[in-house]
Amino acid sequence: MSITAAKRYRLIRQIEPYLFLAPALVVIGLIFAFPIVRLITLSFQRPFQGQMLFVGLTNYQAIFRDEVFLRAVRNNLTLLISVPIMVFVALILAIFLFDRIRGWQFYRTTLFLPYLLPITVVGLIFSYIFQLSGVLNDFLKVIGLERFILDWLGSTRLALPTLMFVIVWKEVGFGIVLFLARLMSVEEELFDAAKIDGANWWKLQWHITLPQLATTIEFFTIVSIITILSWVFGYVYVMTGGGPGNATMVTELFIYLTGFRYNQMNIASAVSVILLLVTGIFIFLELRLRERSVTLEEVS
Amino acid sequence: MNKTRFFLILLTLVSLLAACAQPATPPPAEPQQPAATEAPAQPAEAEPVKLVMWWWGEQEAPGAQQWLDETIAEYQKLHRNVTIEAVLQSTDSLIPAFQSAAAAQQGPDIQYFWGGVWTLEFAWNGALVPLDDLIPAEERAHYINNFERTYDGKLWGMGWYLSGNPMVYNPTLFEKAGIDLNDLPDTWDELIAACDKLNAIGVTPISGGLKDGWFGGWLFSILGRQNLDSEKDFMKASIGEAKFTDPAYAEWWERLHQLKEAKCWNADINSVDYQQGQDQFVQGKSAMIFGNDTFLKGWAEIIGWDNMGVMRVPKYGSGKLADTYVVTAQGLGITSWSQHKQEAADFLMFMHTPDRLNAWFKYTGVLPADDRFDTAQIDQPILKQIFEWVVQSAGPNLENFIPSMLDEQANFTGTQLLFAGEKTPAELAQLTEDVIQKWREQNPDQLQNFVNWYSK
Repeated sequence: MSITAAKRYRLIRQIEPYLFLAPALVVIGLIFAFPIVRLITLSFQRPFQGQMLFVGLTNYQAIFRDEVFLRAVRNNLTLLISVPIMVFVALILAIFLFDRIRGWQFYRTTLFLPYLLPITVVGLIFSYIFQLSGVLNDFLKVIGLERFILDWLGSTRLALPTLMFVIVWKEVGFGIVLFLARLMSVEEELFDAAKIDGANWWKLQWHITLPQLATTIEFFTIVSIITILSWVFGYVYVMTGGGPGNATMVTELFIYLTGFRYNQMNIASAVSVILLLVTGIFIFLELRLRERSVTLEEVS
Repeated sequence: MNKTRFFLILLTLVSLLAACAQPATPPPAEPQQPAATEAPAQPAEAEPVKLVMWWWGEQEAPGAQQWLDETIAEYQKLHRNVTIEAVLQSTDSLIPAFQSAAAAQQGPDIQYFWGGVWTLEFAWNGALVPLDDLIPAEERAHYINNFERTYDGKLWGMGWYLSGNPMVYNPTLFEKAGIDLNDLPDTWDELIAACDKLNAIGVTPISGGLKDGWFGGWLFSILGRQNLDSEKDFMKASIGEAKFTDPAYAEWWERLHQLKEAKCWNADINSVDYQQGQDQFVQGKSAMIFGNDTFLKGWAEIIGWDNMGVMRVPKYGSGKLADTYVVTAQGLGITSWSQHKQEAADFLMFMHTPDRLNAWFKYTGVLPADDRFDTAQIDQPILKQIFEWVVQSAGPNLENFIPSMLDEQANFTGTQLLFAGEKTPAELAQLTEDVIQKWREQNPDQLQNFVNWYSK
């Protein structure tokens, strides 16, 4: 083999992996990277007299002065309260189901069912339930609890908690199934040994169930945070439209309205970049957790 | 492969893709004049033409779908080479879907638009072509409410049908409450007195639904006009030459608040949407609505013409607009990317042929936006009354002359806050002014278009 041929061979060997990677990179570039680059570019521009002008941080400054955007951020943060509620409710129900209470298989299906329903359907149904002349208030009237009749969706004070209730109702099923799946993979001997050692129900949960579920709880918590930050558009759009008076405005809806109703794609892009960054942090955390749980499993 | 190399390759690919993409420069803001197209007397036989039309209207003019299907079938019979596909859009998707189409410069040949700014925003961003070179002036002159779609001396869309806002009442409930049908409330005090009488017999005086926001915009257009003289006054405040906190602009919030305090409205107004609010009237649960005349025929089919009447919105103000009947022409435009602009224009003209105009009224009970319509067809007294108002005292729909952000963040949101008891009328006037200031700051380009529109 001559020197030139050897060089060529070495060069081909060096390029080869990139050629194999190229199709995947093109797909990744088209689907993920290109839209993100465009989004970021748009967020630093504004249209003026037919030109897209670079305006630096102007769009970002504008949104941080925008009361509606700040309200949307506050509402997203308030909705985060539902995350510990979801984790707690899912955990309790998963533990009861794992204890194989009578009819547990039926309950498991029933509790998971809301998670399978389309958000639009859930939103519409709960809209009819919670409106002032809706099913819930009619029921309260029938059973003589008139003083609890409230304008669940029409009041600026109640609309967000009502929305939060619906989100918890729908999303908790996912947590239950996750926790239950993890518990079912825990070796029975662990529980049996603890019982022989005289551990009561509380101690079993505290010393075995919770530690075994730790990584799953972390995973569910982070997924729920991401859901609340960037996946509640459907609920809000169908149930309240962000009202009354922006009481349920969330960042996603703000992006939609700004981009598609007010024709301000650049400002909508700036908000999207911020949302992307925030959710990106949580996605990164989630990936790190997954890595850690894989490592832990390998060690154990 | 190390991470740096991988990253560099990814970056190169992305840069290449970005370079291949369209430049981040939109079409010129100044509307482009299309090259004049020869108007074929008969479209060419050989070349097949497909027109796509995205429309809306069945929602507010039931029967429109049937009419459109028939119109397309008849047109296709006359023009064998033309196929027309009509896609009905939902209320919420009408604008977003077209915005996406405009960004991609791909989509329908004919698009439905509400009047005024809803049409012109797309003329300003180059998504529409003017009709002046596609439809003869003599034909265009027959279309009603062209002023809503005229910018820079050009017509950017064609009115299709008229949509007005009467106050609709239930005569049976009025009589039961002791309201004289021959002396209907025509001042604000009389309206409030009527509310008292209706409340006394346990009937909700007026129903509406604010949950989805749209009705807030209607209230602005119907009530907010009464102290002012023309739509230009609202454009003036939008561009900063007047303030929405000025008493003439702000009083409507106070008047709406008075109606709320007098318990004129359904208690669940904030938790039901627009349609549900209107339905309460049809179900006999409320005595009045700020209605839409396009729905009258549909309601009559449910409750009968005898069980409803129409009246003008009672007055509180003394501006010229206080005496006008809100009317807008819902319309259609031709997109700048259409390959068949002249054929699209030909179809639009076909929609305005006498036979089609008369058929439109027959199917929908809604007045077409064309003065060639045979008015002898209007035999129903309520519709005759509407026609009379349209002819004698038509006035603009103000939502068409303000930025959509103002409508949404001030009118939609403000009315919800008022009924939730969260803000006073003065605070809501200030909210309106704050929103328009924000709009001006965030949209120098749109502001310039508004200034041009206002000054021309």
